[in-house]
Amino acid sequence: MTSPVLPIETDRLILRLFERADLDAVMTYHALPEVQRYLDWKARDRVEVRAALDAMRKQHRLTRPGDTFTLAVERKSDDALIGQVSLRWHDATAAQAELRFVFAPMYRHQGYASEAVKRMLTFGFAEFRFHRVFAVCDAKNEQSARLLKGIGMRLEAHYREHALFNGEWDEELHFAVLDREWQRSPKVRELTANRVA
Amino acid sequence: MRPSPELPIETERLTLRPFTRGDVDAVFTYRQREDVARYLFDGPMTRESCAEAVQARVRQVSLAEEDDRITLAVERRDGGELIGEVTTIWRSVADRQGEVGYIFHPDFQHKGYATEAVRALISMSFAELDLHRIFARCDTRNVASFQLMERLGMRREAHFREHKLIKGTWDDQYIYAILQSEWSAA
Repeated sequence: MTSPVLPIETDRLILRLFERADLDAVMTYHALPEVQRYLDWKARDRVEVRAALDAMRKQHRLTRPGDTFTLAVERKSDDALIGQVSLRWHDATAAQAELRFVFAPMYRHQGYASEAVKRMLTFGFAEFRFHRVFAVCDAKNEQSARLLKGIGMRLEAHYREHALFNGEWDEELHFAVLDREWQRSPKVRELTANRVA
Repeated sequence: MRPSPELPIETERLTLRPFTRGDVDAVFTYRQREDVARYLFDGPMTRESCAEAVQARVRQVSLAEEDDRITLAVERRDGGELIGEVTTIWRSVADRQGEVGYIFHPDFQHKGYATEAVRALISMSFAELDLHRIFARCDTRNVASFQLMERLGMRREAHFREHKLIKGTWDDQYIYAILQSEWSAA
């Protein structure tokens, strides 16, 4: 797959590649214990967050299954970096991808995450030709579950006690959407209609 | 730990026992069939692949490590015919998770044999393998299979749509599961 044309925009946000200068901003949310469990790497201090940032800066295209494409989410009004959204390519023949996102707590409850995730899905289906995108979230993570449901993803799985996490039984939700479902989702039309050229 | 259940398992009408090399012909009668293979990952078996499969099953009587399986032949006590096979796969040792699977000869359907056999397999798996949760998967079109799981009190935990390509077509899959606590309470 080729490198996509970036950045991409929504009304209030810019989705762009990570840059070296993002270290302080990434630090403010990666190092939080509540965020830690959702990351692929340890990012508890400046050295670890720098390594994480270096890894994310390399996630700018999908070459083979297992690769991740990550964009930083920036608020247009003040250029603040408020979070990140990723697509991980899972299965080449079946064109499957996993959606992940992390947003800094101080910017929550304003619809930014939904806005960014919807844009990323539209982008992922068009650019990478995915057939299906899924997202996994802890059943206790009500915010993420509400977001995924709210943007029109279907609840496909609710696993109970299927794994231990830090000594406690885990409960996990899977959401998914197919390319043709996303194309006819009213939420996409609304987003396109409101998009600033 | 090396869980090895006491075998065979007897139910009212069935015996669940280890496979022997002499079972190849009986297994071949149903594994060669197109209708049996429809919802399995493998296509219909040749006699050779069937012989290999039975050979592998002969040793599947205890669990030593993750993804090991216990596979048992299901035999009618009255008549002695081999009517199918059931298996428990150790999917996670640390999380005590198991998966069950079953394949039955269509000629013996609609008599409750499969339900009776899988119920005994699950009871054994919770009791003797100390699993915490057991799940099973099936194609969403395989009505007989998911109705069996529902009869056993398993909950539908997942409905994956077009999540894989299997034999060139989109796979829609159900996952059913039951916890040890739920099984004991039922």
